[in-house]
Amino acid sequence: MTELGNICLWIALLIGLWGSAVAFMAGRTHRADLGRSAERSIFALWGLLVIASAALMHALLTHDFNVEYVAAYTSRNLPVFYTWSAFYAGQKGSLLLWALVVTTFGSIALLVNRGKYRELTPYVAGTIAVIAVFFIATMVFASNPFERLGFTPPDGRGLNPQLQNPGMVFHPPMLYLGYTSISIPFAFAVAALVSGKLDTGWLHAIRRWTLLSWLFLSCGIVLGMWWAYVELGWGGYWAWDPVENASFLPWLTMTAFLHSVMIQEKRGMLKKWNIGLVVGSFLLSIFGTFLTRSGVISSVHSFAQSNVGYFFLIALVLFGVAGFGLLWWRWPMLQAETRLESMVSREAAFLFNNLILVVIAFAVLWGTIFPIISEAVRGTKVTVGPPFFNQVNIPLGLGLLLLTGIGPLIAWRKASTQNLRRQFFWPTVAMLVTAAALAAIRMSDGWSIVAYALGAFVTVTVAQEFVRGVGARHRLHGEMLPLAFVRLVGRNRRRYGGYVVHLGIVMLFAAFAGLAFKRETEVTLKPGQSVDVRSPYGWTYHLTHQGISQYDELNRFVTAASMDVSRDGKYLGTMKSEKRQYLDSMGQPTAEPATEVAIRSDVREDLYIVFAGAVQGTEQAVYKIVINPLVWWVWYGGLVLAFGGLITLWPSAQGPTPASRRRAEPAGYVAQVGA
Amino acid sequence: MWRKSALSLFALALTATSLAAQARGAGPSARDSALSRQLRARPGDSLGRLEVPEAAGRGVAAVTARDNSALVKALEEKIRCTCGCNLSVYTCRTTDFTCTTSPAMHQLVLARLDSGMTEAQVLDAFQKQYGEMIFMSPPKRGFNWAAYLMPFVGLGVGLGLVVGLVKRWGKVAALTRAEPVVQAPEGAATPEEMENLKRELEKFEA
Repeated sequence: MTELGNICLWIALLIGLWGSAVAFMAGRTHRADLGRSAERSIFALWGLLVIASAALMHALLTHDFNVEYVAAYTSRNLPVFYTWSAFYAGQKGSLLLWALVVTTFGSIALLVNRGKYRELTPYVAGTIAVIAVFFIATMVFASNPFERLGFTPPDGRGLNPQLQNPGMVFHPPMLYLGYTSISIPFAFAVAALVSGKLDTGWLHAIRRWTLLSWLFLSCGIVLGMWWAYVELGWGGYWAWDPVENASFLPWLTMTAFLHSVMIQEKRGMLKKWNIGLVVGSFLLSIFGTFLTRSGVISSVHSFAQSNVGYFFLIALVLFGVAGFGLLWWRWPMLQAETRLESMVSREAAFLFNNLILVVIAFAVLWGTIFPIISEAVRGTKVTVGPPFFNQVNIPLGLGLLLLTGIGPLIAWRKASTQNLRRQFFWPTVAMLVTAAALAAIRMSDGWSIVAYALGAFVTVTVAQEFVRGVGARHRLHGEMLPLAFVRLVGRNRRRYGGYVVHLGIVMLFAAFAGLAFKRETEVTLKPGQSVDVRSPYGWTYHLTHQGISQYDELNRFVTAASMDVSRDGKYLGTMKSEKRQYLDSMGQPTAEPATEVAIRSDVREDLYIVFAGAVQGTEQAVYKIVINPLVWWVWYGGLVLAFGGLITLWPSAQGPTPASRRRAEPAGYVAQVGA
Repeated sequence: MWRKSALSLFALALTATSLAAQARGAGPSARDSALSRQLRARPGDSLGRLEVPEAAGRGVAAVTARDNSALVKALEEKIRCTCGCNLSVYTCRTTDFTCTTSPAMHQLVLARLDSGMTEAQVLDAFQKQYGEMIFMSPPKRGFNWAAYLMPFVGLGVGLGLVVGLVKRWGKVAALTRAEPVVQAPEGAATPEEMENLKRELEKFEA
């Protein structure tokens, strides 16, 4: 079966090369037969990669340890759930997944748009084929998942214990889906540039793809945060590690694009900027992988350095030169149709929002690569860690939060004083009251006060929009309030879904601000001994060490330390933190014992207990105890954000707005996109 | 439709298999691991002692008040662990319990404080020993200022460009403006405001 997979990769490489060449020829010569051949190449690539993926999955599930990848990431006693996820636990499988998803999305994009955007389609197919060829070539020449060993070990090395967590099953594919789905907007942007069809038609074709990509990236990032929080045991969820930054960068630029594209659709402005953002987002999705696979940056995620980094560097340069070169070539055709008339307008607010998002992306990128720059310029290595990123990004993030409230409410073109007063009176009151109240209760962190005050501002702007919209429908159409609410959202999902996303962002900021009040301590306790820990809310946790027990469980040997927990005299329950010694099928340890955290979470704070270890082999235990305010808001903020994204993404009968339809080329696209 | 159903059935079967495997354990060997056999081989040694101490990870020392001192924590959060983990000494020693570097660096911090060094002197000593990369963020001096300032320079340049463009376009727009200004959503009870609202609803719902 693995031979079949390997053969499929080679055939896919050849078909991909054929598809790339024939697609661009079809675009230039307008030959329909070549165009059809290019499309079929993508479908064939997809089919071959499905077979290759099935072959790898078969090897994993049947424990074919002669395959190097299977031996490296699985063992006989690995639960099926994690054997399945081992498909993308390592670099080779990840590359296969990436190629599979690119061709899957490419095939869907071509099928969905069949008969539409005829002048763009060949170039779209060609670009997708080039991207797929890159991944397939990387596998075939540098990182083949079907590579065999010279011998067959009796068992595999097993999966890294930290990857044996449900969060890690869903987080990587979500991120891959996010990264790969950016390929579709990139392919359409390239097609628009090459073909010269630069009206808003290509934007209509990619709108859902950009949302989808953004949604996958958002979910992937939040799931990664959750995994880091529950699995790594340091009591936090974001450490500004280069790999985390790599996922955050395209998210930032995609978020900027989702805002600025509205200006292009509505006012015919920012055409160059929007194409630049799409190209930049795609390059950033490649850049992250290059960064971690090449080993140029030290990261806790740099688990698989190899010469794959060079492939990614070459791809980065080629795609960058091609994308921005085309943009430069078409620069004169991308003139704005209207002008920005006032700094006090929605366009200006969105422009500033874009500016801050891109500056944050730049700050993150700059901080991530600064160690390389410093070494190149001064010959001195430096470390750029969380203190730097927090210092630089907190003020920028708060500026962004402010614009999150201002942007959607301010008038297009030029806001009048009356408009400003009407829209911002209550939000401003809410902001000032919140700030005053927090100052009055002596909240100690200034940035947090600003964050909560701005959060109140944004929340009231969103609530005001819903209240006014629902009230208007209720009065105009006589609808009951719940029905009016549903119909209001249903009639403009993009707008109201966006508001829900903004609420999710507020929840996330509230959670981030809560980190300022984190408390942590380490204690050593004998069985029966207790410790009191004071929460930032003023109550006291009383924790009593119950003892340590040891037992077998699934594919591991567990050492569990238990604590009875009460808060202000009220018993809350027993919390158990573990050391898990994972074992192979012969019962031998596979790695160092991993730590499992005990977490008691509610809307106000998390009690986070880590069993650090036993003192001299006794039941005297060392615990790290962390009180983390508002962590719940990260996960539920993420859910709200994803829910808002889904509302926005949900197909609407109306299609693009009238203004946007007007900006699509009349003869070619209007009827099609409206269909 | 059949494809969707088949996929759902496949996913269901996969989940069921996985759950069943988890429920029954991952095989007889896991149920009877070497560590478990070791556990059974040491009867009567349970009071206050672990049966299989090595399964609980590297042994740790009892925590002292100084380990939790705010000064020590603040210092160690500024110093990077040199084990290659990218974490601060404080985070590494209280998170990665397999690391032997961060506990050693922690002891070094304590020893330097014990020798009468101030916080700044301790940091200087670490820098002399390891270079600037020992700090979790670049010290604010010389070329390192580029790290801190460039994002804000970028912001300034961006703002300058936006304001410049708006001013330039404003002049053009003033000459060509013809259409009335469109107001933001309104939602009041007066007839005039209701008319505005109706227009707005039509605009956003159409």
